[in-house]
Amino acid sequence: MNCKNRGQIRIIEAFLAVFIIFSSLAVSANLTVTQNKTKRDDLASVGLQALMRLDSDGSLGNYIDCGDWASLRNAINVILPSGVSFNLTVYNKQMQQVNNAVISNGAFNSQEITFVEYICASQGSIFHCYIIHLYLAVAT
Amino acid sequence: MRSCRKKLRANSSGQLLIVAALAIAVLISSTTIYVYELSKETKSENTYSSINDFIFALKQNTRNTVISSLANVSNGGERSVLANNLNELAQFFRSLTHFGIINLAFTPVNDSNYDAGIWLSWNTSSIGVSSAYANFMAKIQGMTANIALSYAVNITTTITISGYYTKLVGEEKLVNLTCNVYNEEKPALVENMTLFYERLGSWIPVDSSNNLSITDYGNGTYTISFTAAIPSNTVQVSTHVYDLRGIFVLANTTCYEA
Repeated sequence: MNCKNRGQIRIIEAFLAVFIIFSSLAVSANLTVTQNKTKRDDLASVGLQALMRLDSDGSLGNYIDCGDWASLRNAINVILPSGVSFNLTVYNKQMQQVNNAVISNGAFNSQEITFVEYICASQGSIFHCYIIHLYLAVAT
Repeated sequence: MRSCRKKLRANSSGQLLIVAALAIAVLISSTTIYVYELSKETKSENTYSSINDFIFALKQNTRNTVISSLANVSNGGERSVLANNLNELAQFFRSLTHFGIINLAFTPVNDSNYDAGIWLSWNTSSIGVSSAYANFMAKIQGMTANIALSYAVNITTTITISGYYTKLVGEEKLVNLTCNVYNEEKPALVENMTLFYERLGSWIPVDSSNNLSITDYGNGTYTISFTAAIPSNTVQVSTHVYDLRGIFVLANTTCYEA
């Protein structure tokens, strides 16, 4: 009888051990997902704030109105932290691409790409409104 | 007796192991829940911060639209441009679905000064005002947030001009002026400034042949001097200014002999 009970307890112990191992695995997996999500949210916030900063004095709309893509690229490059790659596309109301040059500081090396959508109303006397798509990634 | 105790210890050793394992499981579960709650908190903070950024961007865009409209109207456009442009902006925001349904409503101010949200006061002596004023109500209805906010945007470019003249030879007069420029009551710089003086009922532009000199103090204050042959005892001067946002404003003043 004793030997029989001991065997059952060993099985229960084994199950508990498996449960404990899987629990710890679940905890570490959850931690990783949370950290990645936070990084992406931070990068999106950085991108949005960079566009808002450019837009605060009407520069963003002015660059687009004038088609000065080189200055727009340089301005974003200066505002974004170093090590952040970006690719920006400007669309009009009909979602047709406005920029006829690539506005980017290089290819994305990272798998984690963040997307920011921003509406930009220009301050020029002829009103134009643009939709800006900004893709960001931390260079690895 | 000893064998009985030994037997009991052997029997309960499995139970003790289960209790210990359960305790460890409870510890791990509580750690998991704690980490989950913490991540949920961080996530909600990020969402809140994103919505804050979005609201800031929304306000920035309404401000840009009002500036664009005022620049248009002050350069000869229709007053209805303000409402048309704001309608277009509202349509753009309705097309965004990041945070849910975004509804931007606006009311251009109508009072003793403003008509359809626009106030152009260019006839008042020594002061010129170009202004646009609208009230906004933004509603964001979505999964993460349900926000309603109201705010007002008032864009105003004001100039003040004052001066005097001193007689030179014959009808020749040296006119000295001080011009102050303000954007929303804060000192601002001009993009372009043109002066005119009145001679025999017609306005004549001041140019380099009038020894025109403009000193920019960099704080919204400009001192201007020029010479002109004006037969009358007073000198009527008109100052036309474009601020850095392209908004036009003019002010007239009468200069008397110092």
